[in-house]
Amino acid sequence: MPGSRGSMLLRLQTITLNLIFYFLFFIVVVLLVPVLVIIGLLRAPFLSQRENKKSIRMLIRIYGRSMLFLGWPFIRVRVEKEAGNPPKACIYVSNHRATSDGFLMGMLHCEGVQVVNIWPFRVPLLGFFARMAGYLSIREMPIDEFMRRSSGLLSQGVSVISFPEGTRAGSRRMGPFHSALFRLALQTGAPIVPICLSGTEDKPRKGSAVMHPGLIRMRLLAPITQEAYRGMSPFQLKNMVRDRIASELDRMELAE
Amino acid sequence: MHKDRMIELVNEVFLEDFEMEPQQLVPDANLFTELGLDSLDVVDLVVALQKKFDVSIRDDERIRDIRTLGDLYSFIESLSGELNAG
Repeated sequence: MPGSRGSMLLRLQTITLNLIFYFLFFIVVVLLVPVLVIIGLLRAPFLSQRENKKSIRMLIRIYGRSMLFLGWPFIRVRVEKEAGNPPKACIYVSNHRATSDGFLMGMLHCEGVQVVNIWPFRVPLLGFFARMAGYLSIREMPIDEFMRRSSGLLSQGVSVISFPEGTRAGSRRMGPFHSALFRLALQTGAPIVPICLSGTEDKPRKGSAVMHPGLIRMRLLAPITQEAYRGMSPFQLKNMVRDRIASELDRMELAE
Repeated sequence: MHKDRMIELVNEVFLEDFEMEPQQLVPDANLFTELGLDSLDVVDLVVALQKKFDVSIRDDERIRDIRTLGDLYSFIESLSGELNAG
């Protein structure tokens, strides 16, 4: 029967993918991470504090990118840009479906700091580097401190990368957005670049460690500049950006 | 203040300050999961309600227990002695 043959093939692909992925993941953690740490440590004494932060953020990007290629060819990543390269310092706003979304941000060609929940800071090694890179644990700081630190980053030319749903949706359904990032945009005038992530919902599924084969699409929409959102309330702005991401995701996934 | 008038004024805040659609404003609507407010938006909501009803509620502990629009109507109704809006 063609249907059962198809599902058996998919099962076989999933098993192969996970064997390869987790084997390579182990190798990367054991080999690549120490190499990156040594590179960082060797460079540290010759760099200013600012350059050191930049260096750590670059190493995290390399780590994130390498994670994405561990599942190749079963998992492929396609980056699409609606309007060319985004501005240097902007606020990236993405939907959030799975753990792999954080690694996907390594595909952005910018120096960036992610706004994260508490848990990444508690993961050994990852938490240490996240802290060193100046990642923002939004639930562990008052809103005033978040605004001060993130606007400082933007003024240094560092982008702020965020998942305003606050947690993984675990499915294709997008949750409501938190407004802190949009308050930051209204305060600083920074452009907002919406990101649509499709295909990550099963890489892996929420509550599971099993990776599933398939294409991940990361579409960067045209920046929303201050001229477009001036005069809006944070609530209106967050819903405008959320609607834009949701309708683009609908378009992307309707065509599948 | 009559209850219907109070509900109308609360709804006006959602329509004007949050640009919601009238059909969203049903008493069972959860402010967070259905209407999409977060804790910072609630601060804006409180400011808007204070302005609309000319009343001070920012330090009222009962605000923390509000989950639905119906809860909010009941809370505002409980302030009936202090309400000044027309």
